[in-house]
Amino acid sequence: MEMQTENKNIVIEIQSLSYDYRNAEGEPIARGVRNVTLNIAKGEFCVLLGHNGSGKSTLAKLLNGFLLPDEGSVKVNGIDTTDEKRIYDIRSKIGMVFQNPDNQMVASIIEDDLAFGPENLGVPREEIETRITWALETVNMSEHRHRSPNKLSGGQKQRIAIASVLSMLPEVLVLDESTAMLDPKGRAEVMETALRLNKEKGMTVILITHYMDEAIKADKVIVLNEGEVVLTGSPSEVFSQKEIIKKASLELPVATSISLSLREMGYNVDFSLTDKQLAESICKLK
Amino acid sequence: MREVSFGQYYPSNSAVHKMDARVKLLLTIAFIVMVFLVKSLYAYIAIGVFILLTTLVSRVPVLKVLKSIKAIIFIVVIMSIINLFANAEGKVLCSWWIFTITDGGIITAVNLALRLIFLVMGTSLLTYTTTPMELTDGMESLMYPLKLIKVPTHDIAIIMSIALRFIPILMEEVDKIMMAQKARGACFDRGGLLQRAKALLPVLIPLFVSAFRRADELALALDARCYNATPNRTKYKKATLAIRDLIATLITGIFIVLVVAINNNFWGLY
Repeated sequence: MEMQTENKNIVIEIQSLSYDYRNAEGEPIARGVRNVTLNIAKGEFCVLLGHNGSGKSTLAKLLNGFLLPDEGSVKVNGIDTTDEKRIYDIRSKIGMVFQNPDNQMVASIIEDDLAFGPENLGVPREEIETRITWALETVNMSEHRHRSPNKLSGGQKQRIAIASVLSMLPEVLVLDESTAMLDPKGRAEVMETALRLNKEKGMTVILITHYMDEAIKADKVIVLNEGEVVLTGSPSEVFSQKEIIKKASLELPVATSISLSLREMGYNVDFSLTDKQLAESICKLK
Repeated sequence: MREVSFGQYYPSNSAVHKMDARVKLLLTIAFIVMVFLVKSLYAYIAIGVFILLTTLVSRVPVLKVLKSIKAIIFIVVIMSIINLFANAEGKVLCSWWIFTITDGGIITAVNLALRLIFLVMGTSLLTYTTTPMELTDGMESLMYPLKLIKVPTHDIAIIMSIALRFIPILMEEVDKIMMAQKARGACFDRGGLLQRAKALLPVLIPLFVSAFRRADELALALDARCYNATPNRTKYKKATLAIRDLIATLITGIFIVLVVAINNNFWGLY
């Protein structure tokens, strides 16, 4: 009985998943992911960290059936991604936002772009209308509804890209390096939107990034290296593993790195994730 | 960013903007056919007046419509010059070496220039007053009979919509690549025609590479948003015919009859 209630809360279930990129002859040419087992629960804010080529984007593409596993399985709401007949059930439940905002918009008017997903799913017109209004309000872009995306900033474009997948009413929002091309202001905008969606609407978010500071506010951090999951846990659990983080070619958040160095030098500061925490614990020293 | 006036939507709330895209498309086609059939200068004047009036009603700045000619001015000039010398009918006005200018030649050259200019002005008026989405939806709707013989009309409409969306993006990209090449000492405005064409090669190759990369990502984004998930796709914006479409069709119809009459000198004006 207890097992069942737990299963109910799991949106994505990944079982010993492996995938290799292959050439035309079917020989593996590049490593994708190796033996990944993961569960992502409803309402979780999950950050997938890894350097370039660590397999994080491969993992994202395995989530909605863009790639199919060599071994193991990926299940979304209990539906296997290899189930061809239900692939669109999966894709409409996993809203995927990519790196370059320009390359994921189909229409020259923002509301038309938001309508594209629900139109493809055959949603009735009146319903599309309410979904567009809701999605634009959610990302705070309502006043741009009838405008062209061309004149927006990077952060605004990416918020529109988020709204465009929200109009499909997904259960999971996957941001595949969606902050990588943005300036700090744009990154903050996208992060704020993702966090708000998670906190206020209970949206499950999977954020794929190589910026460590974006992982601080996550419920769960997953670190990938060479296609394998090397760490999973809360931000403080993960970032206290200095050696493993280093081995995965990643850097600790600045505050964490300073607090750990200070501790090594014998000062009694708390382990800190944010600048604020660090400042407070340093102030407490005297 | 470079100004691309051809094919860009000019937002406004005019009666022309509100017209059904399908009606606008059909009327534009009728207009194009008419422009090609007309031969008399007086009829061209009538067409000019019609375009001017339509522009005023649509509230698109006249200057903007005139600017759309800029893109084809080179072709117009070349074609006119060729026609000027190629047509040797009529009275010889002046003659030098192998070149002779006749009044017949002048008339053909002027006719051709006006024809091309009106063609571009008419079609750009269509794109100024119709959003790309309306336009492609309209085309899809007009192509409906083709759907019965299994032509993928919806895919064609999406391809056109995406093409229109990416025009300004790729233009911006050309500017960026040219600047990057200039920073490395490339020169685009010196030398003969062949040299200039050669200088553009380092611009075109990166442009193509990036266009293909964009296409790849776009394909993924389309799939991620369930493109082709169901054959029962719905339409968010449904075009409906209104009284104004009927009025516009009537006015254009009357005008076409008028131009044909003038062209055939029905009233013996000239």
